[in-house]
Amino acid sequence: MTKGLKKNPVDFLFGTLTGIASLSVVVLIGGIFYALLSESKLAIESFGVFKFITTIDWDPVAEVFGAATTLYGTAVTTALSLLFAIPVALGIAVFITEIAPGFLKGPIGVAIELLAAIPSIIYGMWGLFTLAPIMEMYIEPFLQSTLGRVPGLGILFEGTPMGIDLLTASVILSIMIIPFTASVARDSFNLTPPIVKESAYAVGATKWEVVKDVVLPYSKLGVFGGVVLSLGRALGETMAVAFVLGNNHQITTSLFDAAATITVSLANEFTEADTDLYLSSLYYLALILFVMSFITLAIAKFFLLRAERRYSR
Amino acid sequence: MEEKEIEVKELNFYYGQVHALKNINLPVYKHMVTALIGPSGCGKTTLLRCFNRMHDLYPGNRYTGEIIFKEKNILGDDIDLIDLRSRIGMVFQKPTPFPMSIFDNIAYGLKLRGIKKRSELSERVERALRHAALWDEVKDKLNESAYALSGGQQQRLVIARALAVEPEVLLFDEPTSALDPISTAKIEELAVQLKEEVTIIIVTHNMQQAARISDWTGFLMLGELIEFDRTDKIFTSPSQKLTEDYITGRFG
Repeated sequence: MTKGLKKNPVDFLFGTLTGIASLSVVVLIGGIFYALLSESKLAIESFGVFKFITTIDWDPVAEVFGAATTLYGTAVTTALSLLFAIPVALGIAVFITEIAPGFLKGPIGVAIELLAAIPSIIYGMWGLFTLAPIMEMYIEPFLQSTLGRVPGLGILFEGTPMGIDLLTASVILSIMIIPFTASVARDSFNLTPPIVKESAYAVGATKWEVVKDVVLPYSKLGVFGGVVLSLGRALGETMAVAFVLGNNHQITTSLFDAAATITVSLANEFTEADTDLYLSSLYYLALILFVMSFITLAIAKFFLLRAERRYSR
Repeated sequence: MEEKEIEVKELNFYYGQVHALKNINLPVYKHMVTALIGPSGCGKTTLLRCFNRMHDLYPGNRYTGEIIFKEKNILGDDIDLIDLRSRIGMVFQKPTPFPMSIFDNIAYGLKLRGIKKRSELSERVERALRHAALWDEVKDKLNESAYALSGGQQQRLVIARALAVEPEVLLFDEPTSALDPISTAKIEELAVQLKEEVTIIIVTHNMQQAARISDWTGFLMLGELIEFDRTDKIFTSPSQKLTEDYITGRFG
C-alpha cells in the first residue's frame, strides 16, 4: 500500500465535523417536537385530536379548550395576506427584472430588502397606531358602503369598523411577506436564460407576452417556492398580528371582527395560564402549528418535485 | 444577377462606446445561404443581430447606416419590431424551446399573430414540422413537453417554430455549435433545403460548414467586412491576404 491511497485523516475529521453539524439539526427538530408533545400530553388526553380542533370554545374558567377559533383565524389571515401579497410581489418582480431601466433596478431592490429587514414588532406598532386608525376611519367604511352592498359579499363586511380585525391583520401580514415573495420571484425570473427570452422576442412576442409565456412558466418553481416561504412566514408570524388582531376567540364571517390566531393566543396567554390544563392546551396549539408548518412544507416539496419532472429531462 | 433580399449600406454599430461594426456594405441574395465567418469577436453575431434588431432589447446600443429590406430601412424608428421579427426569424446557438408542449411551441408565433382556429393551427404546425424534418419523429407526442426531445430535435423544433410564421429570412446564429455531428449534418441538410423558401444568413465558427452549405460568404475581422464573394471563390481563391490566412488556418 502506498501512502497516497490511505484515507486522509483531515478529510475524515472534516467529514465528521460537518456530519455532526448537520445531524444536530435533525436532533433539534426531534427534540422540539418531543417537548411539545410531552407538554401537551394532558390536553391531548382530555380533548383528543378531532374534538380539540373542532371545538369552538376556549373557556379558561370552565377549562374547556378547543383550537377551532385560532385555526380559523390563522387560516383566514394567511389566505388573505397571500391573496393581497402575491399579485403585488409578482408585479414588483416583473418590473425589476424586465421593465425597469437600469438605474431604477438597484434602488427598488434595496428598498424591498429593507422592507424585509424591518423587525416585525415595528410592523405591529405601526399597524396599531397608524394603519388601524386609517382602516377604521377610511378604508373599512368605504368597503362597507361599496363591496358590503354587493349581495353575498356583504357578509364579509358586517359590523362596526374598529380597525382591530382580520382585515387589518391580513394587510400587515401581506406587507411583511411581499419582500420575500418578490425577491425570490425576482431571483427565479433572473434565472430564465436570456437566449430563451430572446427567442420569444425573435418570433415577435411583446414584453408582456414574453413575461407571461416564457419567464413565468420558466420560473414557476421558484415563484412557488417563494409563495410557500411566505405562507410559512404568514402562518408563524406573531408580533405584527398580535397588535392588530385583538385575540378574540370567535369564528366570524366578517373581516371587521377581532379574532385570534394560534401565534397570537400563544403570545398573549402564557402569562395567564394558571392551570395545568390551560398551559397544556397552549402547548397543544403550538404542536398543531408545528405540524401544520411541516405539512405545508411537505406539500410544497411534493408539488415542486412533480413540476420539476414535467419540464426537465 | 440574383435578386437582393436585403442590402446593408454603410452600417455602423456601437455597444455604448465600443464601435463594433465599421462601415459594413453587404448584399444578401434571395433564396441563397449567406455565411458570415471570422474569428471570435469579429462582429459576425453582432451583424446578424442587426437584421432583426435584437440589439434593441438592451440599452446603450446604437446603429447608423441602413439595412434595406422590402424597400425600407429596417433600422428606422418607424419600424414595427414585432412585424419585422415575424418576417426575419432567428435560430440561436443553443436550442431554446419554450416551457410548453411541442405543439404549443410551434403554434406560439401563430397565436401571437391572432390565429386561433384549432384546425388552421394544426395544419400549420404540421407543415412547419414537416419542413423542419421533424414531423415523423414527433407526430405521436405533440402534447409532450418540448424538453423531452434530444438537443438536435430541439434545434429542429426551434427552426420549425421560426418557419411556422412563414418568414422571408431566417437568421442562424451558430445553430450547430451545441450539437453532435449527426444532428449537425441534419441541420445543415435542412438549411440547404430551406433556401427554396427562405433566405438564410448563417453565422458559423466552422469553416467547413460555411463551405458546405453557403452560396455566398462574408469574412469579418475586427468589426470590418474584409471580403464578400461567392463561397467557392472565397474558399479557393480569395482576393484578400487576410481571408486566405484565415481560411487556411493561419490564425483564428
